[in-house]
Amino acid sequence: MSMNAPTMPNQESVTETKPEQMDSPFRDSMRALLRHRSAMIGGGIILFFILIALIAPLLLPFGYNQIDADARLQAPSAEHWFGTDDFGRDIFARVIYGARISLWVGFFAITGSIVVGSVLGLIAGFYGGWRDTLISRFFDILLAFPAILLAIAIVAMLGPGLENAMYAIAIINVPTFGRLMRSRVLAVKQEDYVLAARAIGMKNSRILFRHILPNSWTPIMVQGTLGFATAVLEAAALGFIGMGAQPPEPEWGKMLSDSRAFIQSAPWTMVFPGLAIMLTVLGFNLLGDGLRDVLDPRMKQ
Amino acid sequence: MKIHKSLWIAIGFVLVLSTVLAGCGGGGSNAGGQGKTLIYGRGADSPKLDPALVTDGESFRVTENVMETLVDYEKDSMDVRPALATKWETSDGGKTWTFHLRKDVKFHDGTDFNAEAVVFNFERWMNQEHKSGKKDDFTYYASMFGGFKGDEGHLIESVKAVDDYTVEFKLKEPQGPFLQNLAMSPFAIASPKAVKEDPGKFAQHPVGTGPFKFKSWKKGDSITIVKNEDYWQKGLPKLDQVIFKSIPDNSARLTALQSGDIDVMDGLNPDDAKTVEQNDKLQLFKRPPNNVGYLAFNMEEKPFDDKKVRQAINHAVNKEGLIKSFYADLAEPAKNPMPPSMWGYNDEIEPYEYNLEKAKKLLKEAGYEDGFEVEFYAMPEPRPYMPDGKKIAEYIQADLKKIGIKAKIVSPEWQSYLEATEEGKHDMALLGWTGDNGDPDNFLYVLLDKDNARIPAQNIAFYKSDKLHDILIKAQRETDKAKRTELYKEAQEIIREDAPWVPLVHATPPLAAQSYVKNYVPHPKGSDSLAEVDIQK
Repeated sequence: MSMNAPTMPNQESVTETKPEQMDSPFRDSMRALLRHRSAMIGGGIILFFILIALIAPLLLPFGYNQIDADARLQAPSAEHWFGTDDFGRDIFARVIYGARISLWVGFFAITGSIVVGSVLGLIAGFYGGWRDTLISRFFDILLAFPAILLAIAIVAMLGPGLENAMYAIAIINVPTFGRLMRSRVLAVKQEDYVLAARAIGMKNSRILFRHILPNSWTPIMVQGTLGFATAVLEAAALGFIGMGAQPPEPEWGKMLSDSRAFIQSAPWTMVFPGLAIMLTVLGFNLLGDGLRDVLDPRMKQ
Repeated sequence: MKIHKSLWIAIGFVLVLSTVLAGCGGGGSNAGGQGKTLIYGRGADSPKLDPALVTDGESFRVTENVMETLVDYEKDSMDVRPALATKWETSDGGKTWTFHLRKDVKFHDGTDFNAEAVVFNFERWMNQEHKSGKKDDFTYYASMFGGFKGDEGHLIESVKAVDDYTVEFKLKEPQGPFLQNLAMSPFAIASPKAVKEDPGKFAQHPVGTGPFKFKSWKKGDSITIVKNEDYWQKGLPKLDQVIFKSIPDNSARLTALQSGDIDVMDGLNPDDAKTVEQNDKLQLFKRPPNNVGYLAFNMEEKPFDDKKVRQAINHAVNKEGLIKSFYADLAEPAKNPMPPSMWGYNDEIEPYEYNLEKAKKLLKEAGYEDGFEVEFYAMPEPRPYMPDGKKIAEYIQADLKKIGIKAKIVSPEWQSYLEATEEGKHDMALLGWTGDNGDPDNFLYVLLDKDNARIPAQNIAFYKSDKLHDILIKAQRETDKAKRTELYKEAQEIIREDAPWVPLVHATPPLAAQSYVKNYVPHPKGSDSLAEVDIQK
């Protein structure tokens, strides 16, 4: 993927500005973010989930697919912290493995839609004309469908499965990023420094990547964080209706769907995966809100 | 002018209907209105309502209340009693059967039920005429009577109307379970007029002689049948209307029952049986276990053409665990393809024990040490013999993984599921069978004989054993029950050795109803006549 192209100049610009550290906007934002309490809580939750997803499999006494008919539907206890499901599988282990799946799906789906959406948005905003019309109408078409319905349709075409669910989530999020990028580019394009760059005869591609992209980047970052939360929810929704993760993958949405029958008799089978979804989504939302507060110039005191 | 008039009638009808509906109230179950409506909640809609074209219980559940057979089963067993035929004789060593028909019976469309109608129906099936679509097939007819006219094994030589109310069947060979077969729902007698007019419409709107008349069908949602005022059994049916409502999710269906939206529910989660028992407003029923839930291998696909692989998987399935986890102990492990309550059951068969080491060893001998990948079809809807196919598949999947087999669970919607398995698109598939005529032939021949391994197959293992075929045919043509028992016992030994299936369980499906529902008897064949059912609040 063309991820390298947009980021490379960005890094360069960071190194270029290094000498004048005191005034670096990046450092400014970082400091503001660290002071932002709810963003830090959100970030903490996300870090926590990433951490357990990475290391917990080493610590777990049970595999996520370890079946034991004699240990079925046990309430939370010292042995099974979150209880067991109707297969007698340890819910704690499944929730933690589920974190891997959800984060993985969220990350790749959002990265994918950011890359595709940004490129399309850049082209539409910078060149305008028929390219803009074409790309913008394409976004309109995608946005005309309710997101989850479109995701279901795409998965129905590709066939159920985690990977296909990921593609579907990536596709439905493309227009959000695309339109955001396009509107930023339209604004930035009019700035004096772009005019200046044009005046000295800089090539379009150089203007795009050195001047426009770095200056349109921040809202994408904010939207990306918020979009991560939506992507986790969408993956869970697809899993719930059986179009996402396939058995025996311990995806949270699928766990919810599998335990519907036990909502009264064994509520822990639903509560813990539900909590996991809620916390992850909350974490990304808090962080995203914080990022927006910090990065939006209008919000600066 | 004409349009005008019919418009007024339509408006009038809507008005009347709206008052009737308003009178029924939200629950719809007879709150003050003079009509007694029973709402029967079930797991899936019927694919088609022409019983001759289908093989699934959800279709028969409706059609058996609309259409009737020459002979029928007793209310609570598989013994045969008179129905549209009042009496019968057999002669010529079981090759000739003469049926005397009931005289005062009319089809719902007003035409007479007589010998001509019976002959028409049998000729329709054996000649494969008047089908609603090209892909349709009289699967059941072929399964029970050895194919169609012109086929080598076809059993019925002729069906003749001797006089208006006498029908004579001539068979090429005697058939042990002949009478039992005739009582089966697929051989219900349809109105010849309705079938001839439009077989396509008939599959959507059945016309028979039964206690209820078909009224309407909202696809995927509900089927409504109403009282047949001219029913030949006086005083029946007791209900004015029955609505079969599909609610795919077992728990959602129970919630609907608890809140009074439905009156009877099929497919209770075994786990919820206790909840129902403790509720005074509800009653619990247990359908007699006359079924088998199984895992079939597609023997035409590698690696399942190898007996050792099939036996290996037989060793890798933990039936006790399945029963504990998904049947709440309302089932027993299966070792034969037919339930133990059936005569001819071979109890001396040694079941394949759950032993992963043995399984691995067999796989190694077959040359599949490193395992393989398969597509494992799991049914999407709850069935009486399998309350949750997807979970059962997931359970088996975990054990298969331990012996190196990677199973991908595939679960298309029910209609496509049946078609895919009939056409052999699966590597392995879960399915089950509820016996519908009380004869071992109905399990062994229908599900495992090579005659039924052609597409659309009932023998979804595509198990083609000549040895078994010879025994099953011999048993069919034998009329002495003791001899037949011996033959069926031998057949079960062959099946055990060849292992075309993993026989999983024989379930006792629990059902629930409101306590005011009276005279409801869950029949062992899996679908019930509702003629005598009543609501007394």
